[in-house]
Amino acid sequence: MIEPIPTVLVVDDSPTVRKIVQMTLQRERIRVITAGDGLSALTSVADEMPAAILLDIQLPRMDGYHICQIIRKNLQFRSIPIIMLSGKDGLFDKMRGRLAGSTEYITKPFDSVELVQTVKKHLAGWQQRMPPQHEGMRTRLRRRG
Amino acid sequence: MEPQDRIMDGDLQTLGLQSILKMLALSGKTGTLFVHSGPETLSIALRKGQVVALHEDGFFKPDLLGMLCLINKLDPQPAQAVREASQGNLQVALSMLVKHNLMSAAEMQRRLEFAVTQSISHALRWVDGRFAFHRQLVTMESQMQPLDIDSVLLEALRQADEWEEIGETQLTHMTFVRWLPEVGNDVRSLGLSQEYIEVLCLANGEVPLQAMAMVLMIPEARVARIVNRLLELRLIEVVDTALEAELQQDLSNIIIMCQHTLAQLRQNPTPEQHLLGLIDTLSKCINRLLIHHGRYAKSLRGRGKLPDVEIVRYLERRFAQPLQLIAKQQYPILETATFADGRLDCSEIIHLDKLVKGEKLEEFYWEAVLGLATFLRTVFATLLNDEVGNSHTGRQLNYVWKAFLTEIDQEIRQYQLYRAHQNTRQVRNRYSEADFQSGPDRSSVPQNEGNAYWSHETQRRSL
Repeated sequence: MIEPIPTVLVVDDSPTVRKIVQMTLQRERIRVITAGDGLSALTSVADEMPAAILLDIQLPRMDGYHICQIIRKNLQFRSIPIIMLSGKDGLFDKMRGRLAGSTEYITKPFDSVELVQTVKKHLAGWQQRMPPQHEGMRTRLRRRG
Repeated sequence: MEPQDRIMDGDLQTLGLQSILKMLALSGKTGTLFVHSGPETLSIALRKGQVVALHEDGFFKPDLLGMLCLINKLDPQPAQAVREASQGNLQVALSMLVKHNLMSAAEMQRRLEFAVTQSISHALRWVDGRFAFHRQLVTMESQMQPLDIDSVLLEALRQADEWEEIGETQLTHMTFVRWLPEVGNDVRSLGLSQEYIEVLCLANGEVPLQAMAMVLMIPEARVARIVNRLLELRLIEVVDTALEAELQQDLSNIIIMCQHTLAQLRQNPTPEQHLLGLIDTLSKCINRLLIHHGRYAKSLRGRGKLPDVEIVRYLERRFAQPLQLIAKQQYPILETATFADGRLDCSEIIHLDKLVKGEKLEEFYWEAVLGLATFLRTVFATLLNDEVGNSHTGRQLNYVWKAFLTEIDQEIRQYQLYRAHQNTRQVRNRYSEADFQSGPDRSSVPQNEGNAYWSHETQRRSL
């Protein structure tokens, strides 16, 4: 039986954060792809159409708010949940994230249980959000086990 | 499957699996028998009373190809090619191995028969559960020759009985075992038989006992006996998956916290503050790891709540000596760091500014950063080896840890770059002074050139 598994894109300039999130989510049978900067993130979104995005705010070249806005302006990708990851937990930063179109905001340093719960919450019904003709779907189909 | 196709159902307490199978065989039925117990489901496809295929849900899917590589019966390269082509389907993988002459057709049949017998043997032990027989034959991929139910039942019952004979044991068919990290001796000197060696080869913490039995095609009870003996010989240990998940979570949180503190350091305006920040971060990271190890160290586990004194004594016994060694051999500044209540106390280093100033202070700080970074590596390597060894969890954590170390190294390199530039500037200044005495050109080095190497922008670029 072939069962599709969701893909989550993790965008963070820290390799440590990328790897920890990858390890944590893979344990929950979630496929993880990563990007270290804004431009690679946008390429990954277009190529893979992830089921959710974990997006750091402070990134080289293009910040998280900007990436979020670009994704939200695109008709094909606008429904992807974007969870902002940030070291800043001020109300202003949260508001700014919300205005840029983020779905949720997680403050660093985050707890891995909290991270899994938040990601799973936003993955509910991910298959319905996916356009079936998208090329990236093929890559997400993995045989169970 | 339509409800009208169901011709028989009930619970296993009323009618056991053995009787159901026997009945279906005698009446030469064709259809699919579903047996559920808890999260596990067994689907057995029957044609004219013979088993033609079996599928198990909620069952750990073993990587047969990987296991064959572990016992040296298959090379990793063809195994990888077959794995990719078969996309994890065991039936397809086996037929590909036969097709490429990597396995005989007879061995494939034996393996499939063994897997069916093993699954039925498990299900025979289910007490609570339900069954349903549908006349429709569900399509299940199978390359297996039909099996006679009587012989399957006989072997399955024999295997189930063997388990009973073992008596009280901590082992189950889903127990994972792995080599003890401290095994350094040549195991050949122990005179172990081939079966023992093969179980040892499979004991990597990722293969459950059930899968070992499947790949070796020996009953689980026999594997359990071998595992028991290897445990007695202290060559392997039982892996507690729940504990490892908890442990991985705790270490992940520590690394995330330390990485976050490290990232904050990039905002420090001066190299001196940066070094001080690094000392603080490294010592906090070491202490978080020590607290963690006080909870998860192997020799402290399973003994209930221990008095703090015992934990402190254990931590100091384990880590005070490596710290002294690092201080003695490489970084004497660490002699001022002490162990108190199972924690590393670096307050003397942190408050050095009350005693020393200027370049000398920076040098001390720099030495402390290098020393603490070395000690941090030692602490993590020791605790990981003790807590999870060379397991899947251990390797995953090591992978993450290496990423974190590269971030620390980048911070250290950043300072080295600054230092090298400062030195070059000093040398150039010396030459300029000489030039001043001999000629008019005095404008070769701008006064703030060194600071440019420490600007916030430079730091972000270098990262």
